[in-house]
Amino acid sequence: MQPDSANIQISHIDYKDIETLKRFLNPHGKIMPRRRTGLSAAGQRSLATAVKRARFMALLPYIVR
Amino acid sequence: MAEMSQVSAETSSQANNSPSSAQATEGTRPVYEVGFHVVPTVEEVKVGDVVETIRAVLAEVKAEIIRDQFPQKMTLAYTIERSAAGKREKYTESYFGFIKFAAEREHVAALEAQLRSAKDILRYLLIETTREEPIIARRAVYSSNRLEGETIKKPATAPETPGEVSDEELTKSIDALVN
Repeated sequence: MQPDSANIQISHIDYKDIETLKRFLNPHGKIMPRRRTGLSAAGQRSLATAVKRARFMALLPYIVR
Repeated sequence: MAEMSQVSAETSSQANNSPSSAQATEGTRPVYEVGFHVVPTVEEVKVGDVVETIRAVLAEVKAEIIRDQFPQKMTLAYTIERSAAGKREKYTESYFGFIKFAAEREHVAALEAQLRSAKDILRYLLIETTREEPIIARRAVYSSNRLEGETIKKPATAPETPGEVSDEELTKSIDALVN
């Protein structure tokens, strides 16, 4: 059975769009797993890349205590 | 090799300033984006000069600027430290801006060298991207019925009220249990 998230298509997420990226992070600043985000495998990879770029550019924290 | 020769042919034709060939190269040239932090010690009026140095390098290589954002002051998510002239500098805020441009692959190295050597640039990120704007998720996080909505509660049951039991009934029930 296809979950509702199957129609979420993210071909490319911008690392500068931190408001969108924050929605995919847990309160500790970790990237949510794919079973929680409901993204496609490619979308999840794109998300991970964008989050890591945003972290490097200090737009997002590496860790939230 | 065939692609390489085609690119070089397009580049040479662009040098001749032929409008049709220039349009052809615009579509084929890779698109890059450079995001950068300018140190907050730079005066606000002089931030434009830092941007101009980047733009000058791009203009030199005839890069097409697609989109840009002038550096704006922002608080960093964490403290960035860097050592400059034997001293450790700590920054908690900066001016963040970006430039999206299309340029030939071989010209990007010149820009990167300039960014690396610029002391006013605290950090930069040079990436290859697409000409189109990124698609934003319609709904960000998947949530099933199991995770959303009200918490399932136990059905409320009326508390049992202890009724009065006579001694006879009690002995009968004890006997029944024993036997």
